[in-house]
Amino acid sequence: MSNEQKRTLALFYCQNVPESGEDNRRALEKRYGLSVRLFPIPCSGRLEILHLLRALEEFADAAYVITCPEGACRYFEGNRRARKRVERARSIIESIGLEKERLGIIIGSLKEQKTLAELSGEIMETLAGLAVSPVHEKRLKA
Amino acid sequence: MITAEQKPIDEIREMIAPYKRILALGCGSCVAECAAGGEKETGMLASALRMALKMDGEEKVVHEKTLDRQCVRDFVIQLDDLIGDYDAVLSLGCGAGVQAVADMFPEIPIIPALNTEFLGETKDQGYWLENCVGCGDCMLFYFGGVCPITRCSKHLLNGPCGGSKDGVCEVNPEVPCAWQTIIDRLSSFNALDRLQMIYPPKDWSKKYGKGPRKIVREDQQK
Repeated sequence: MSNEQKRTLALFYCQNVPESGEDNRRALEKRYGLSVRLFPIPCSGRLEILHLLRALEEFADAAYVITCPEGACRYFEGNRRARKRVERARSIIESIGLEKERLGIIIGSLKEQKTLAELSGEIMETLAGLAVSPVHEKRLKA
Repeated sequence: MITAEQKPIDEIREMIAPYKRILALGCGSCVAECAAGGEKETGMLASALRMALKMDGEEKVVHEKTLDRQCVRDFVIQLDDLIGDYDAVLSLGCGAGVQAVADMFPEIPIIPALNTEFLGETKDQGYWLENCVGCGDCMLFYFGGVCPITRCSKHLLNGPCGGSKDGVCEVNPEVPCAWQTIIDRLSSFNALDRLQMIYPPKDWSKKYGKGPRKIVREDQQK
């Protein structure tokens, strides 16, 4: 099995992201299999740093969150909170020797609205060169 | 409330290095309010430590638990049934909490994960500010509810130093001049005459010099 197949992304996304309903989620799960684990949340502001850390600890090589565009959050500041939390989570993982690029955030665009499927594809491309997380390396070798 | 900040993770890792089974113990009170040692932060620290340990190939166990308060015996005693499973406790309580747990379980090393900072208030979300040093002889009445010991950089009891500019302290330009605030506040109460009194030097023996302070209330005891 190649590294790409073994690598897993935890993807948290606001339910406001275009075409992110149950059917879309199932289709994506079918497309990517175990490479992507999808976590719909009512607002990206609901995302806690702990969610990101536990994902990286338990199974993920990378964890991303997709938020509403700036100014478009239905709860006004959820996406801003998400951005700050991702930044803090990045500094935490960097302090233990993990690359901060394993955590990321995609803030939607009002001008060019992309679907969950499109954004998932873009994130997977971004992570193409990312190695399996050293947290899981030993487990995979066992 | 008591405020604290988490120690650098490298320092924490060095302290827990000799131990194999560690309980990360959070506190649901002051340190939860200042986002340093509550249930969330305990989970975050434990998760980060477990990842770090896995990467280093270390065989250690890090579990988590959060007490409502670590400084009250009735809560700390909840650890009685489970503390024997661990050879160290990493406490995310303030200094009072760390020591309360250590006093109750003296045979288990209790390691502090936080640096306890000051008594203060939550001024705004994510912003805590010191406003009391616990001098034991509160004079806030005379100064309109503004403590010159804590909030004046020079701890002056008898009027401003004269160095402030536009209401800002000359020692630290980020700090509003406490005496400007005192004068404004007492003026609004028509109580400026309180400043006509000369206040003697603070009696610090009420805070220092006799070991740890205590309060005993027999009416509160069994």
